[in-house]
Amino acid sequence: MTLRWVSLVAALLPILLLCVIVGTMVASAKAAVIYAGLHLFTGAIFTFGNLYGGSPSVHNGVTAPHNAQYGAATLLVGTLLTSVIALAIALPVAVGGVLMLTERIPPRLQNGFSVFLELLAGIPSVVYGIWGVLILGPFFALHFFPALANSLGRIPFLTWFRPPVGAGEGLLTAGLVLSVMVIPIIAATTRDLLRSVPVLHKEGALALGMTPFEVVRVVTLPFVRNGILAAALLGWARALGETMAVLLISGNALNQFPQSIYSPVGTIAATIAATLDGALTDGTGMAVSALGALALVLLLVTLLTNWAGRMIVRRSSGAALPVGRGF
Amino acid sequence: MNIVARRPWAAIVVAAVAAIAMVTACGSQPSAKKPTPKPSPTINDQVGNPASSVTLSEAGSSLVEPYLAALAPQLTSAYSNITLTPSAGGSGVGISDAATNLIDLGGSDAYLSDSEMTQYPGLMNIPIAISAQEIAYNLPGVSDLKLSGNILAEIYQGKITKWNDPAIAKLNSGVNLPSATIVPIRRVDSSGDTFIFSSFLSATNSAWNNGPAFGTTVTWPAVTGELTATGNPGMVQAAHATPDSIAYIGISVKSSIQSAGLGIAELQNKAGKFVSASQATITSAVTNSAQDIPSNLAQSLIYEPGAQSYPIVNYEYMMVQKQQKDANTALAIRTFLTWAVDSSGGANATNLASVNFIALPSNVLLKIKPAIGSITSGS
Repeated sequence: MTLRWVSLVAALLPILLLCVIVGTMVASAKAAVIYAGLHLFTGAIFTFGNLYGGSPSVHNGVTAPHNAQYGAATLLVGTLLTSVIALAIALPVAVGGVLMLTERIPPRLQNGFSVFLELLAGIPSVVYGIWGVLILGPFFALHFFPALANSLGRIPFLTWFRPPVGAGEGLLTAGLVLSVMVIPIIAATTRDLLRSVPVLHKEGALALGMTPFEVVRVVTLPFVRNGILAAALLGWARALGETMAVLLISGNALNQFPQSIYSPVGTIAATIAATLDGALTDGTGMAVSALGALALVLLLVTLLTNWAGRMIVRRSSGAALPVGRGF
Repeated sequence: MNIVARRPWAAIVVAAVAAIAMVTACGSQPSAKKPTPKPSPTINDQVGNPASSVTLSEAGSSLVEPYLAALAPQLTSAYSNITLTPSAGGSGVGISDAATNLIDLGGSDAYLSDSEMTQYPGLMNIPIAISAQEIAYNLPGVSDLKLSGNILAEIYQGKITKWNDPAIAKLNSGVNLPSATIVPIRRVDSSGDTFIFSSFLSATNSAWNNGPAFGTTVTWPAVTGELTATGNPGMVQAAHATPDSIAYIGISVKSSIQSAGLGIAELQNKAGKFVSASQATITSAVTNSAQDIPSNLAQSLIYEPGAQSYPIVNYEYMMVQKQQKDANTALAIRTFLTWAVDSSGGANATNLASVNFIALPSNVLLKIKPAIGSITSGS
């Protein structure tokens, strides 16, 4: 009896929380969304405007500080690019690594490796960030990026790899550090999936004379393909919303689209964190509202990518997703 | 109960609708409660130990916080019933939390803007000390460098990219400037240092003034190879680790600028002279502007006249509500502020020297006395 009520409350709580969070965010973002209109998605300039002078700017009936513009396009591009780079690196590394681990390495060593995997997943993101700033960034700027610019950058059409290579804070650094954070998420999920592949199927394939890696290709991977896609979605969501590490290593460019793989970029999450205090100094409250609008855009992007991923999975087969089914 | 057991969805929908209704109701209320402005403030000069103990909460500027942390125990030993609890969080937090009565005192490196004065008519900004900012550079082999606000603005706009640019060389005859690319470093977090640095650039370069202008967060122009850092210690670290870099850093961390081996540039003031930040040059800037301090005490100290004046100087402010909830709290706040600006109280040489702040000159003290006296419990 009591348990029933407790469970009911527990079941309602996430729904309530989600409604409250989305509701308050919509309420606070409303003014800025009306002010910006479609410019919110297409505008390249995001600025709180001149809080100390000039005549107020009025758009769509909403008043904001002089020259305030709330365009999230560059931040949207930065958010998507960094997370896609992270995913493109993390997915093959994680899946390949885990395949090797589960198929070829003795079980005793597997357990030791698993512990490391989980530890890697548990490292706070600020640690990755500080490591990126102090060690990875300078190393990239001095050695890796010049080498990249001298090799890939010389290939025609690959203009995005050409110099200048900058100072080590930018798109590729952010993507690489994010990939390190995403790898354990995809790897841990994939490992559990691979363990669920029936042994009989694999043994049957072996008995037919297949090599171990043919078994992986023909039996194991098709069996867990949807699960891996779902794991990749989880990792992507993590990369989209990651704040602290990106804040430290992305270069936090505002109002510019990246010109190369080395360019500083800004992401939505990092920009919200970096500029909130400044937004609080806007007496009209529009700056805070604009950050609320940015948060809504991020929420929208996360939901859209999640939904798109689900559609891909559903189209490829009707099987249920083992993970990432929430919402 | 039966509804719940038979139709769990009904309960969920009801709860969701209730939540949205609640939120919408909250959202439609005005976000900040404005205290009613008092048209005729009664001046109350009375200070002293309150009858019962009062705790004054402070939050805001991370430059002011270490100073107040040093002051807090001394305040309690002078006035046993007043406890000050300072915390950081940023100037924006200081202003908005003081405006919404979440805290008694808000620390800020920036003064209130016109829109904030309109939005929060009961809020005052009262200077308690003076700070400044230095331009640090990492140029191996160069120990003497002169710069102007105009050149800094061009560097941070990407118009001047090399250290041996003719414009820099012209100011530094005899200095062997390298041909290296300049790496400008800027703050990524909202910051009072960004506020005063961008104010300086706005005052000296019209393209900057018409473009990014000034604020605690500004729209930085894209500069190839620029770096970002968080906080003053982050700026020192980034400049230290990056040869050919330049950074704007608050004077309160001067000792770490020096121990990091960074050079500090002499800056051209409004009179055309090149000056370093010192007690004399900072005080000169304040003294020259003090006769113009408006009654609302919101004043920029950037690029002030005077042959001696250092160009990047600012007041450190306490944001405080004119009208307090009771007489005891009002008395405690008046007492704290009066003591904090007194050279035999909080503003003694040891406290100020610990963060390289400078005391308010006497002509400024005269102007802020009435503001402190206007803090009352009203009625």
